[in-house]
Amino acid sequence: MGKSVLYIEMENCIGCRSCLAACTQCGGHDNRNRNYVYEVDPFNSRQTIPLMCLHCVNPACARSCPAQAIQIADTGAVLSALVEKCIGCQNCTIACPYGIPKFDEEQNLMYKCDLCYDRTKDDIPPMCASVCPTNTLQWLSEEELAEKQAQHKLANGKWTASMEPALEGETNVKISLPGILQGKAKLF
Amino acid sequence: MPKDKFFKEIPNVVHPNEKLVSTHCSYCGMQCGMKLRVDTTQNKIIGVEPRYDFPVNLGKMCPKGVTAYQQVNHPDRIERPLIRDDASLKGTPDGFREASWDEALDLIVKRFKELQDKYGKDTLSVYSGVSMTNEKCYLTGKFARVALQTRYIDYNGRFCMSSAAAGFNRSLGIDRGSTVPWTDINQTDCLFIAGSNAAECHPTSMFRIWEVQNRGGYLIVADPRETPLARRADIHLDLRPGTDLALANGMVHLLIKNGHIDEAFIRNHTNGFEDTAELVKEFTPEYVSEITGIDADKIIRAADIYGRAPEAIVMFCRGVEQQSKGTDNVSGYTNMALITGKIGRPKSGVATFTGQGNGQGGREHGQKADQLPGYRKMDNPDHVREVACMWGIPEEEMPQKGVSAYEMFQLMIDKTIRANYLLCSNPTVSAPNQHHVREAFKSLDFMVCCDFYLSESAEYADVVLPVSTWAEDDGTTTNLEGRVIRHRQAQDWYAESKPDWWIQIEIAKRMGRGQYFEHLKNPADIFDELRRMSKGGTADYSGITYEKIDEQNGVFWPCTDENTQGTPHLFLDKKFYTKDQRALICALPYRPPAEEPDAEYPLRLTTGRVVFHYLSGNQTRRIPFLKAMYPDPLLEVHPETAKQYGIEHDEVVLLKTRRGEVRYKVKIIAAIRPDTVFVPYHWGKEESVNLLTNPALDPYSRMPEFKACAAQIIKLEGVLHNG
Repeated sequence: MGKSVLYIEMENCIGCRSCLAACTQCGGHDNRNRNYVYEVDPFNSRQTIPLMCLHCVNPACARSCPAQAIQIADTGAVLSALVEKCIGCQNCTIACPYGIPKFDEEQNLMYKCDLCYDRTKDDIPPMCASVCPTNTLQWLSEEELAEKQAQHKLANGKWTASMEPALEGETNVKISLPGILQGKAKLF
Repeated sequence: MPKDKFFKEIPNVVHPNEKLVSTHCSYCGMQCGMKLRVDTTQNKIIGVEPRYDFPVNLGKMCPKGVTAYQQVNHPDRIERPLIRDDASLKGTPDGFREASWDEALDLIVKRFKELQDKYGKDTLSVYSGVSMTNEKCYLTGKFARVALQTRYIDYNGRFCMSSAAAGFNRSLGIDRGSTVPWTDINQTDCLFIAGSNAAECHPTSMFRIWEVQNRGGYLIVADPRETPLARRADIHLDLRPGTDLALANGMVHLLIKNGHIDEAFIRNHTNGFEDTAELVKEFTPEYVSEITGIDADKIIRAADIYGRAPEAIVMFCRGVEQQSKGTDNVSGYTNMALITGKIGRPKSGVATFTGQGNGQGGREHGQKADQLPGYRKMDNPDHVREVACMWGIPEEEMPQKGVSAYEMFQLMIDKTIRANYLLCSNPTVSAPNQHHVREAFKSLDFMVCCDFYLSESAEYADVVLPVSTWAEDDGTTTNLEGRVIRHRQAQDWYAESKPDWWIQIEIAKRMGRGQYFEHLKNPADIFDELRRMSKGGTADYSGITYEKIDEQNGVFWPCTDENTQGTPHLFLDKKFYTKDQRALICALPYRPPAEEPDAEYPLRLTTGRVVFHYLSGNQTRRIPFLKAMYPDPLLEVHPETAKQYGIEHDEVVLLKTRRGEVRYKVKIIAAIRPDTVFVPYHWGKEESVNLLTNPALDPYSRMPEFKACAAQIIKLEGVLHNG
């Protein structure tokens, strides 16, 4: 089992939606993307940010599910609803603070990011992080994550939005707070 | 080559009953490595998997790349040759009937011969493109000159790389898009990037570009728009469209004034410094600010940073090149590297972001009106003799040089050219001043179009020949670094489609010129001939073999014999490819765009691209994901300008220039200059922004001025939100 994590640096995002296109390519994703990209302030700037499932350690979606349809894999990946268990109540779509689970009316089934479980179970990066041309999405080993942490010291003492002390509950995906270049010493 | 800092050993996922074929993307000059997923039970391409070990992109892909495979088995593919008997239907998709290859080829040859008998050999023309392999590009040049025996061949690189080519040839004596491999980009200390929206047009460069800043280096971007690249720049030089040369001269002025020049390098390896130093004296920050609209302070800071940078790379793209002084802009920005000596060593140099997939290789081997294989020139009698001899034709049979792509359209209207063989291009979207181009195609006596979809240009043809896509053929391309790489056939030719080389050889045989083509049975044979033909030329491929490309993950030209590995870095010996081996620092007087704003047309229109579409959009507009992301062209307007015109976001307005008028939906965004509006050009017919663009040509490269013309917005009363 791999110990790598998905790590996100929002400021790198160029809005290309390659992660969305790649998401459709993962086996078992039914050609449908399970991640999203938002324009932050479209009338003023071209800044965009990806919105990915953060794979919460104690996920609200799974907690809210009355049918235990949302399983957590050994890797920590919070999987898409099991077809045979999902009752289509849509609790999860409301419970998730990030709006990740989506609902397919036709299939009466919730679907969400499974962190490309068929790849990440073998420590192969998920499709989104594989293709991301900007390194907004990165698949990092524990050592690489520690390096990132050492590099990005923010003035408020925090580093990621999703590590202790986390902004929300603890998540397996790590998001860097904006400001990756803050305090960066210039080369010359 | 040493391993890149981003390189990781990552296995691929291979699903049951599938195999992966290592190849490259069909689209831009990045030529990203990718693996196509092939269903082995049906021999059918069904998906894509990252190619983590290809050194340029390391598995990364943009949304066009991820979905590129969906072109191959697309319902819009043309399955059999199409003939249209009713010429009155030209310009529409109607009236075509399916035909056999024999009928289509016989008709083509009959009409070609009739027209040549009546009007002379040069009545035929070939209009080609560079989104295809070196093998096809090379053969197309030979096909025009040896099989059709016409002087009129040119290609869509005139709308793409020709200014970079002319500028580099003049300044450096060689036209290779980058003097350093792309893996140097993230290791340099300063990137000066002008007229490149790399985040949208070459997205897989972005992880390297951001890394410069992550290391504490600097990013300086010159662009009229705050693109996703400019958004994060240390300095954004927000210049008026078409004023690059003033900025380049201003940078040179400050570099000299600040003492940031390398006097020994200038003395030993260049010519032209004195004249240039004299000319740029007047380009003070204040004067440059007046012309460009950039704050003088920002110009001063940019010059200081570039000047002090231990290593720096100057990069540019179509923004500076698609101007009526594109060649001068290229030489002007190249001057920055030459006077500071920041060239001819690792991590420092100049580079252009090549547009088309094989924009580099396709311009080296004889598709250009004035050029022969190996970057030989038609105005050099020795070169003509060498090529004629190798092709086995008498020297006097070699046609004269022709005219550039855009200039061919006037010759069609004049009836100097009566027939056209169009391949790998869609000029009724991509050429400027569309009314003229469409009239030209309509006025032809006979037109053939080779494509895998019925493009807007195919709608003007009498015969449409279905060609195979990139993934159905073997061959090589040369990426934006000058690295020759291999494309592999992953699926059989779709339906009855054929690769361009097969079609050209068949036509050559039927034209009675088979003896010059019959020995070429496959792409490998053609590459072998190309290699031999290029020997001794500037773009020397003679030492490149398919095997060496596989072993080394590509081979950088020049590669002059089989025992050398090729040339990733140019000029390490500080020898340039000019006659005296010195680079030329060019003294370049400033001139404004051919058309400046006035009372009637007070705005500046600039055109460009979005990340979801490629060139004329013939390929990408058919891919559901890409289409959904950006279905129609939008007119970008600054909020202040919108207020002035009383127009709102999503409102449909009329955009007008001296060439025409088009309705566009408005996108309001503050990330553009208030005096400038922008429209992406990937759409045809009545949506084409090239109905509006100015065909003013660069005197050297014959590149039209897509990037700057005068325009006006007309508010349409009562037509709100009517997209």
